[in-house]
Amino acid sequence: MNSIKNKKLLLSSITTCIALSFTSQVQAEDSVFVGHLADMTGPTSFVAKHYGSGIRDALNYKKKNNGINGTKFEHETIDYSYKVPQAIAAYKKWTSRKNMVVMQGFGTADTEALISFVSRDKIPNFSGSYSGHLTDPTGKNPHTKKPAPYNFFYGASYSDVCRGLIQWAAEDWKSKGNKGQPKFTHIGANHPYPNAPKTACADYAKELGFKVLHPVVVSMKPGDFKAQCLSIKNSGSNYGYLGNLGGSTLSLIKSCNTVGTDIQLMTNIWGADKNFFNAGGSGLKNYVFPTMTPFWGDDAPGMKLVGEISKMSDPSGNKERTHHYMRGICSAYYMIEAMEWAEENGGITGENIKKGMYVKSDWVPKGLEGVCLPATWKADDHRGINKINIYNANYENGSVKVNKVSTVTVERRDDWLGY
Amino acid sequence: MSSLTMRPCGDFRTSYKQDNTIFETKTIRWVTIFTILALCFAPLVVDGYFITLLIQISYLGIAALGLNILVGYTGQISLGHGAFFGFGAFASAWLNTSFHIPVFLCIPLAGFLTMGVGMMFGAPAARIKGLYLAIATLASQFIIEDFFARADWFSGGSSGSMAEPINLFGFAFDTDQSFYYVALFSLVFMFIWGCNLMRSRDGRAFVAVRDHYLSAEIMGVKLNKYRLLSFGISSFYAGIGGALYAHYLGYVSAEGFTLMLSIQFLAMIIIGGLGSIKGTLMGVIFMVFLPEVLESGVGVMKMTDWGNIPMVVDGLAYIKEMTIGLVIIGFLIFEPEGLAHRWTQIKNYWKFYPFAY
Repeated sequence: MNSIKNKKLLLSSITTCIALSFTSQVQAEDSVFVGHLADMTGPTSFVAKHYGSGIRDALNYKKKNNGINGTKFEHETIDYSYKVPQAIAAYKKWTSRKNMVVMQGFGTADTEALISFVSRDKIPNFSGSYSGHLTDPTGKNPHTKKPAPYNFFYGASYSDVCRGLIQWAAEDWKSKGNKGQPKFTHIGANHPYPNAPKTACADYAKELGFKVLHPVVVSMKPGDFKAQCLSIKNSGSNYGYLGNLGGSTLSLIKSCNTVGTDIQLMTNIWGADKNFFNAGGSGLKNYVFPTMTPFWGDDAPGMKLVGEISKMSDPSGNKERTHHYMRGICSAYYMIEAMEWAEENGGITGENIKKGMYVKSDWVPKGLEGVCLPATWKADDHRGINKINIYNANYENGSVKVNKVSTVTVERRDDWLGY
Repeated sequence: MSSLTMRPCGDFRTSYKQDNTIFETKTIRWVTIFTILALCFAPLVVDGYFITLLIQISYLGIAALGLNILVGYTGQISLGHGAFFGFGAFASAWLNTSFHIPVFLCIPLAGFLTMGVGMMFGAPAARIKGLYLAIATLASQFIIEDFFARADWFSGGSSGSMAEPINLFGFAFDTDQSFYYVALFSLVFMFIWGCNLMRSRDGRAFVAVRDHYLSAEIMGVKLNKYRLLSFGISSFYAGIGGALYAHYLGYVSAEGFTLMLSIQFLAMIIIGGLGSIKGTLMGVIFMVFLPEVLESGVGVMKMTDWGNIPMVVDGLAYIKEMTIGLVIIGFLIFEPEGLAHRWTQIKNYWKFYPFAY
């Protein structure tokens, strides 16, 4: 009898689950839908959950405060765990059932898988993937294989950040009174994300008089990297660009400290944040990294709004947010202002939102002054940001101190578009 | 407990033809034909979300069947199936953009190219078996993944490569609804092919190699030939599946074809049933629908007032990921022979009611 009962229970739970999957949530009249793909549990979640919470809090805040010029909007955050099939399924669910007009994505995997779909369906996709090849919307540069007309991101591309760091390194080399040719090494896994700026950055380094050494391959997963550090030491490289993130970068820093390398490490936008510094601790010596926003606790006019937004998921207001969180807010707010423009100029559709992105130049969303850098998107150039704030982190007296080193501006050269 | 080898009482076969048939009874044949016909009308009935899931089932199903031929029928092991799937995707895109071969020809050609690569990496199977073979195929996964990241001429390196939609006599299959028919046709075609392969001399040789390689060799089955052939056919299926995936997305990036995908293919065929063609399909359907069903469960929670706060929603995301793992473990413990076996049992239960043994 017991087994029959169990079977009945199993059967009924299966039926419920199937029935659930058929229910489509009914959408209110007169509202628009924003899809949000976040990686809260997947392999990149240690930075992605900060970025994703920033977007989600910003959307929830705007929902409570007047919506899009009074038009209500709805959003759904789906955790796709960095799995492409689930990202595609979520996207299709939103387009076929919710009439999605615009979306926020996250990583390289989902963003690239959706490039063709979003340009066909005319749905702007604001991603946290900063690959240079997403910046050429019309295929103006003959090198661009696939134009990405509906892809946007807030921030400088991986290539432009690396170029900015190289520019800084060239000045740093001179200002320290060094003689001779500085040597540059790309350090990272053989994977699309660290590889994205590899050739672009090496080309520019050569142009600025660096000697570009063989890239050093370091796994994306944490490990013992003393062998790699020894080869960096033996090559006598002066500047290294770190393409990886998180644990892998930390173990590289620790291994290189053990080996005793004399290289100036510079990392990408995902390669450093508060949690990273806490874990790195005494290992951090003059670790150079870029940001597109200030830090939590910095004094800027826009930080007030950031504080309000943060209260959406942390009512106490005590939680310290990382700069990834603020980049998420910026990404959401550029989208929201473009939606507001669209609402005033013909209605909130994907096409109008795209047009809305090109209206302003040196654009900072209202209320976020000093938080988001002035950005300019053009119909044939999606390089929104070309300024890079460079900081360094040092371990002093039991805590990590972060200081601003410089702000560099990367040229918007035509042959760098989409590269 | 009846096992797979036991014949239901009263089912006597008197000719080889009866023994060899694809459909055991007329009812099964009609149900299958009717299901396929009904699926043809699916785009008229269900929305884009289900169409995209059905397309996913098609391309993953084709690749999973390939792996089942290798693992379930021939008794070899491969941990590199995800990489072969990716190779098919890139190969088809590459053939199309570099040589301007029409896409509908590129897909089978990509299958053959992947077959070549698969046989190359399957060559060690002629000498080694078991765990040693698993590690050898694991190496192929890493070698091919590395190749994707480096070979700019083939895969576009870090910027990926584009794949045109299928174009037949001026009609472009670029919407989900139209591509669905391509996917459905490929699925039916490849599964019929798989069924027929298993009824042929070669298919029986695969099973012989799996069941007792020494006896098979004594009976005149060339072990090396059939092990290698099995690798080839398995990779061919992976290549076709990958190529369909590429032309569906319109864009291929090296990100998706990791060891995780290979493991997922293995999970599909283990859950579905090793050495069973319909089991393969059941396993794929299960693995595609499981995260979606769980996600919609999370969606229902989010509709309630108390459930729609970030703490609960984030907590559910973790529970969802863990549940997928738990369900797979549950299957291995309670249903080690897969969904296909459970299906047989359900059928027997009805057939013999109320005198089930």
